[in-house]
Amino acid sequence: MATLTLKQLKKQYPNGYKALHGIDLDFGEGELIVIVGPSGCGKSTLLRTLAGLEDISEGDLEINGKRVNDLEPAERDIAMVFQNYALYPHMSVFDNMAYGLRNRRTPKDEIQQRVSEAAELLGLTELLDRRPKQLSGGQRQRVAMGRAIVRKPQVFLFDEPLSNLDAKLRVQMRLEIRRLQKRLKVTSVYVTHDQTEAMTLADRLVVMNEGHVEQFGTPMALYDKPASKFVAGFIGSPAMNFLDATLEDASEGSGQDATLALPCGARLALRPETTVIDTVINNTLTLGIRPEHLDVLETDSPLPKGAAELNVQVELVEPLGADTLAYCRLAGQTEPLVVRLDGEHVVAEDQQLRLAITPARAHLFGADGRRLTTCS
Amino acid sequence: MAHFNRHPITPWLLMAPQLIIVGVFFFWPAFQAIEQAFYIEDAFGLSREFTGLTNFISVLSEPEYLETLWTTMVFSFSVALGAMALALGMAVLADRVIRGANTYKTFLIWPYAVAPAVAGVLWLFLFDPTLGILPELLSAIGIDWNHNLNGNQALLLVVLASIWKQMSYNFVFFLAGLQAIPKSLLEAAAMDRAGPWRRFWTITFPLLSPTSFFLLVMNVVYAFFETFGTIDATTSGGPGGSTRTLVYKVYEDGFVGQDLGSSAAQSVLLMVIVGVLTLIQFKYVEKKVQY
Repeated sequence: MATLTLKQLKKQYPNGYKALHGIDLDFGEGELIVIVGPSGCGKSTLLRTLAGLEDISEGDLEINGKRVNDLEPAERDIAMVFQNYALYPHMSVFDNMAYGLRNRRTPKDEIQQRVSEAAELLGLTELLDRRPKQLSGGQRQRVAMGRAIVRKPQVFLFDEPLSNLDAKLRVQMRLEIRRLQKRLKVTSVYVTHDQTEAMTLADRLVVMNEGHVEQFGTPMALYDKPASKFVAGFIGSPAMNFLDATLEDASEGSGQDATLALPCGARLALRPETTVIDTVINNTLTLGIRPEHLDVLETDSPLPKGAAELNVQVELVEPLGADTLAYCRLAGQTEPLVVRLDGEHVVAEDQQLRLAITPARAHLFGADGRRLTTCS
Repeated sequence: MAHFNRHPITPWLLMAPQLIIVGVFFFWPAFQAIEQAFYIEDAFGLSREFTGLTNFISVLSEPEYLETLWTTMVFSFSVALGAMALALGMAVLADRVIRGANTYKTFLIWPYAVAPAVAGVLWLFLFDPTLGILPELLSAIGIDWNHNLNGNQALLLVVLASIWKQMSYNFVFFLAGLQAIPKSLLEAAAMDRAGPWRRFWTITFPLLSPTSFFLLVMNVVYAFFETFGTIDATTSGGPGGSTRTLVYKVYEDGFVGQDLGSSAAQSVLLMVIVGVLTLIQFKYVEKKVQY
């Protein structure tokens, strides 16, 4: 168990490419941290610098408050599960797991004991004599984890460990990793590009984009209050809808409502206590609303107080069973508006829908993509 | 659906060019050699007499033949192991180079394009007792180099020349083998607390074993047969037969000594020896190979 601290961590490759631009993060003991982001956002590079497989160009990395920048991977007491598992093909499952212990000159009977403990924990006892190529994908995945576990390291690193498994097995292994991590209470850093995996596994979540940390917090905090348009679009599935909007008539100090005008003509009243910075008045902003937060109104029911009404035409329907996704056309908007409906709600293509946006569910982002914290 | 007529002759026609070449240049001479081995021919090639196993018996009872066999073994395994070890070392180093890697690789592959006789002459000049640079340097550290007189030095010279020639071939295969090892395996081993030396011997080397095994077979065959040109141009089997390999003796007895029967018997024996060696390699070494 360990704490992990990153201070202004920077990584620049010899060819001049800057992969990480000053990362500041602080991971607590026994936490499962998930780093998520699109391809090329620097998440794997960050993990590899933690492992010591990549040099740190600038800044500090501390484990338990001790600077480890210059320590070799072997000296950091970190174990890593690789994306392709990186099992040694010429060794049995037992030898794969025992390799790290043998390199540390652990006594034979202790190796035997630790490996059989880990094997039992992971259900590998029957497979200890097999070679990796005689195992299924899920079993290989387990061996890779077993190899990390037997060493009892300070920190576990996972580099997209589930991306080579089929969908069903992925869900199962996800639960298993979560259960195992809670049981062993080892600080873990898990990299993935799959936001569902990220949301379900993480104690806390790091969203990265282009070598920067966009936001760091609990999954629900990121879902409820995304710090930027990027995070808003990345967390949650299907992704958040974005609408262009203009802020009008803030009437400073008058106690009057500020109004958000949408290109389709709808207007959303912001609550009087909302203070909006002058500079964003009359500027183009982005209104974000999640598909599950768009309410469908019956034809004759009244609009809830403070809500804005959108009239849309359904273009495409995706029934998922529990939910139905409706892709709708909204005047003045090129991207379709996605609405998540209850699975029992029957909608037909070309049907007209009345939707309501409530201010409490709306997210507002400035031209720079940052969240305008005052909009609630 | 298209209908194909399978005429029984078509496959034979398609294979004919290859079959003719193998037949004319391999099976026919091989058969002739085997046949010849059972005859004694007069010096003018006008008549011959069937003598059964006489040729084989006289060859095997010749102490010179057994000496040559021993020389060949020493020579072949020195060349095979030397060429493989050096090539592996070079390949490991070249694999780590990032800048200018292609230039390095091209230069390291180059010696393979040099004809065996030229390679031999090159080393001959380097080590020439009167003209060469190296004997000069060696004398400075008290070594008196003269491969024209010293049999061991002569053997060392042809071994060096043959290694140099074969190294490029091995290098290409080892480099390809190294590049086929996933980088993540070595990274995983590094995190498992294995130092560079241990990583090499416990991960890289075992994973290269299919390549190494293939090269061992190829190198032994090379050392047995294809070093003729190098030896002929460098030492011509001398001094006093100290660099005479089995192939060289086949040539000496047959083409220089005109004892065609004995020469033929020797080539049959050579074929058997190499066959047995290859069999041994497959039986014992291959078991240790990790595929």
